[in-house]
Amino acid sequence: MISIKGLRQGLLILFSDAENATWATQLDELKVKLEQSGSFFQNARVAFDVRGLSLSLDDLQIAKTLLESYRVNLWAIASQNDKTIANTRRMNLATDPNNEEMPSLVTDDIGTLKENPFAATAEGSDGIFLQRLVRSGQTLRHPGHIVIIGDVHPGAELIAGSDIIVWGKLQGAAHAGSTGNDKAIVCALDLAPSILRIGNTTRRVPADKKRKYPKPEMAKIVNQEMNIIEWTP
Amino acid sequence: MDSVVITITSGKGGVGKTTTTANIGTALALLGKKVVIADADIGLRNLDIVLGLENRIVYDSVDFIEGRCKLRQALIRDKRAGELYLLPAAQTRDKTAIKPQQMVDMINELRDEFHYILIDSPAGIEQGFQTAIAPADRVIVIINPEVSSVRDADRVIGLVEAHQKGPAMLIVNRIDSARVKKKDMLSVEDITEILSSQVIGIVPEDEEILSSTNRGQPVVLNSKGSAAQAYRDIARRIVGESVPLTMPSTGSFWQKLFGRA
Ligand SMILES: Nc1ncnc2c1ncn2[C@@H]1O[C@H](COP(=O)(O)OP(=O)(O)O)[C@@H](O)[C@H]1O
Ligand SMILES: [Mg+2]
Repeated sequence: MISIKGLRQGLLILFSDAENATWATQLDELKVKLEQSGSFFQNARVAFDVRGLSLSLDDLQIAKTLLESYRVNLWAIASQNDKTIANTRRMNLATDPNNEEMPSLVTDDIGTLKENPFAATAEGSDGIFLQRLVRSGQTLRHPGHIVIIGDVHPGAELIAGSDIIVWGKLQGAAHAGSTGNDKAIVCALDLAPSILRIGNTTRRVPADKKRKYPKPEMAKIVNQEMNIIEWTP
Repeated sequence: MDSVVITITSGKGGVGKTTTTANIGTALALLGKKVVIADADIGLRNLDIVLGLENRIVYDSVDFIEGRCKLRQALIRDKRAGELYLLPAAQTRDKTAIKPQQMVDMINELRDEFHYILIDSPAGIEQGFQTAIAPADRVIVIINPEVSSVRDADRVIGLVEAHQKGPAMLIVNRIDSARVKKKDMLSVEDITEILSSQVIGIVPEDEEILSSTNRGQPVVLNSKGSAAQAYRDIARRIVGESVPLTMPSTGSFWQKLFGRA
């Protein structure tokens, strides 16, 4: 019953407040998702939207601890229930996942890219489309595809549930199919990432892969091996 | 008054933030502007030393924030450069002593009276960075022409953008044209290409900086040297004059002596 959305400030997990949706069953569901999603959630910053659910301090603490055991940081809980809001405050968590002043020094998720109008329209969709560069220290994470028109600098990180397409120079780390999807691809006009991962396969690209006339390339898994072939977009 | 608040920061420490803040602030004042330079590097304060004003500090910004003085009382006038004032940082406190919103309110109080307010910030990886950029209209990132400094700067430029304070402008400090020529050092072109950011100043490595710092006299006050000239050019660009960006002719004392610079 839970669903996940890519938000400008990070990931948002939506819970249901329907009659039959208990907190315990939904947390079980979340645990399964965390378990199955491989490294997609690792070091991510997430917010909850628990709608009208009335949750105790214990309920919230259990959820936070669950996330922490998967190295996921819970920073905000949105709710329409007064008791839940009060308990959220008692845990020192934010109550507005859209807060413009989110603690951006923790990790730089999609949140840092908010000046880009495309990021907003991509919320909750199959992918995120950005026309900008991604700098060192910034992590872009989306459950679907990531499409960037611009360069990705060394020290930056892209983590997509599906494909990664960079219309520019891709340095830094790229992880496509991070939910365990081996069919994902990584394409770039200049494919020079420090680390390239698709599904569960990793390849380190030698630092000297610096070419004067780079050509577009695509990485994909063929017979459990990472293949890099010419990309003819 | 149409005031501009400029925060000067960097990826890591020791790249020349304080030297740059002191010199650009002084140069702006010498151009006839009313200027405050605020030290936001609490605990590591040294803007007062570079300006030779440390003995005149009575109150600092934390005293003001905590209600022990008026803002006026914390400002120290540097008479050598017209309307130049220092707002010192507290030496004995940590960087959490001022919250971002308090910084914004404090700087806003100065906006009516001054043309330029420059803030000497801690490096981007340090605590206090968020406070120092909170009131900024523009942010300048200082870099040294080294790969590691450029990489750190990339990170800070990203943070500046994340705080909606972008695009950051760059000053390349301590460049040595002879070493760039020998390809021992990154060139300004390399840096602009890597960072995709605008460079508003190129300051050479200049041994005069050290001696002037020790005397508490920013080089722009009286030197004809190349660093002093570079800082004056940056100040003129900040006030809106169009001054072409040129590679300063440096070289060490010996190179100049033998005419090989
Ligand atoms: N252009 C320059 N040429 C020579 N020395 C410099 C130059 N700029 C800064 N320095 C020296 O580098 C050191 C660090 O400078 P400082 O301004 O204190 O850096 P920061 O404030 O970033 O820590 C000081 O000793 C200073 O004298
Ligand atoms: Mg300093």
